[in-house]
Amino acid sequence: MSIDEAADPAALIEAYYDAGWTDGLPVVPPSDASIAATLAAAGLQGHEVLGQIPGRNVEVIADKAATNAVMAGCRPEYMPVVVAAVKSLCEPAFAYHGPASSTGGSAMVLVVNGPIARRLGINGGNNAFGQGHRPNATIGRAVRLIMMNAMNTRPGFLDRATLGNPGKYAFCFAEHEEDHPWEPLHVARGLRREDSAVTLIASNSLYQIYNQLASTPEPLLRCFADALSNAGSPNLRGFNETLIVFAGEHADILKTAGWGRLDVQRFLMEHTRRRVADYKRAARIPGAITADDETTWRHVFERPEDILIACAGGRAGSWSACLPGWGKKWTRSITTRVEGGET
Amino acid sequence: MKLFDPTSKPVERAIKLAPRPASPRGLRLGLVDNTKFNSDTLLKKLAARLAARHHMTVSATNRKRSPSHEIDEAGVAALRAQTDLVISGIGD
Repeated sequence: MSIDEAADPAALIEAYYDAGWTDGLPVVPPSDASIAATLAAAGLQGHEVLGQIPGRNVEVIADKAATNAVMAGCRPEYMPVVVAAVKSLCEPAFAYHGPASSTGGSAMVLVVNGPIARRLGINGGNNAFGQGHRPNATIGRAVRLIMMNAMNTRPGFLDRATLGNPGKYAFCFAEHEEDHPWEPLHVARGLRREDSAVTLIASNSLYQIYNQLASTPEPLLRCFADALSNAGSPNLRGFNETLIVFAGEHADILKTAGWGRLDVQRFLMEHTRRRVADYKRAARIPGAITADDETTWRHVFERPEDILIACAGGRAGSWSACLPGWGKKWTRSITTRVEGGET
Repeated sequence: MKLFDPTSKPVERAIKLAPRPASPRGLRLGLVDNTKFNSDTLLKKLAARLAARHHMTVSATNRKRSPSHEIDEAGVAALRAQTDLVISGIGD
């Protein structure tokens, strides 16, 4: 389609709105040159298929992914990260249809690890989830635009979110690997430290966890366990998968106590629970309350590895975060190595 | 200046519909439970009504891994071989 609005860039941006191709924010109008540069930065030919969702008759073509990445505001060198995220979306174990279409309205949370995070300047420090950093904002946004435009996942059509959440615009951050008690997330999930990787998890919500008084792991982690076993939490029936992000002060408490990643996971597995009677009172489990229900515990997690742990955020402040997964039974987080983009 | 279309159309697949039954009477019924709350309850009630009105019988039941997952090939083959009509539903 040709348009004679070169003299007025705002009119061109309006044309993308009129076509229904934006997420509600203005897009960067692509050009042949910007799309070509974006493809080249990831070593892609335009016709290549990045992934498929057979159940939805979707094929993600590189050319379309690059077009959306440019529209999102990505620099070309961000494209290898976008491609890894798209490949994660298309992994069968992610089971795209559920988290993408559900009334639960999940954000597609991207945790970036390895050298590429540092090279691109993806923020993993202060305000890691917030505004102000181009790669965080535009890589996350590119993934959502690709879902909308190239994967036919539009609000009101195949995206049926009841409320959605602001993370659906963009949710991408780097792990703060230099300020970390343990090995980084991608290493914990089987890759090498020198690899670059994206971990994708579909998450309905973000709870910030506050505790300024705890100086040992147990009371600190009880706050996380309490938040993750609230009566309104989804997926009580099927065991959950959750991302926890420790920021500096809380990570220090765990490190100083000599707790390892597995210690934290095991503690949370044991303590993230509620009595069956509590859930029945809240009509989260059907049936009349029995005497046994008052002493029978329902645990949220089935296995330690269902609790993903990353470190990010600032040094100051007694805050960390829980990002409950859309549900282990129905989707799994996916870690994908970033190919290319080494220079 | 050009607009660059960022959208992709669905990949076309050839789908052949099964022949429609001439009559509902006496059909073999398949039920696909998607595992959502009350899906099985709804399907069983439907099956009971169809049995009462049209003498249908449930000849195969498939419980999906989750609502997000498709029925696997073996499940599709079983439904194809054992049923004349399949009902799937959500229920919540």
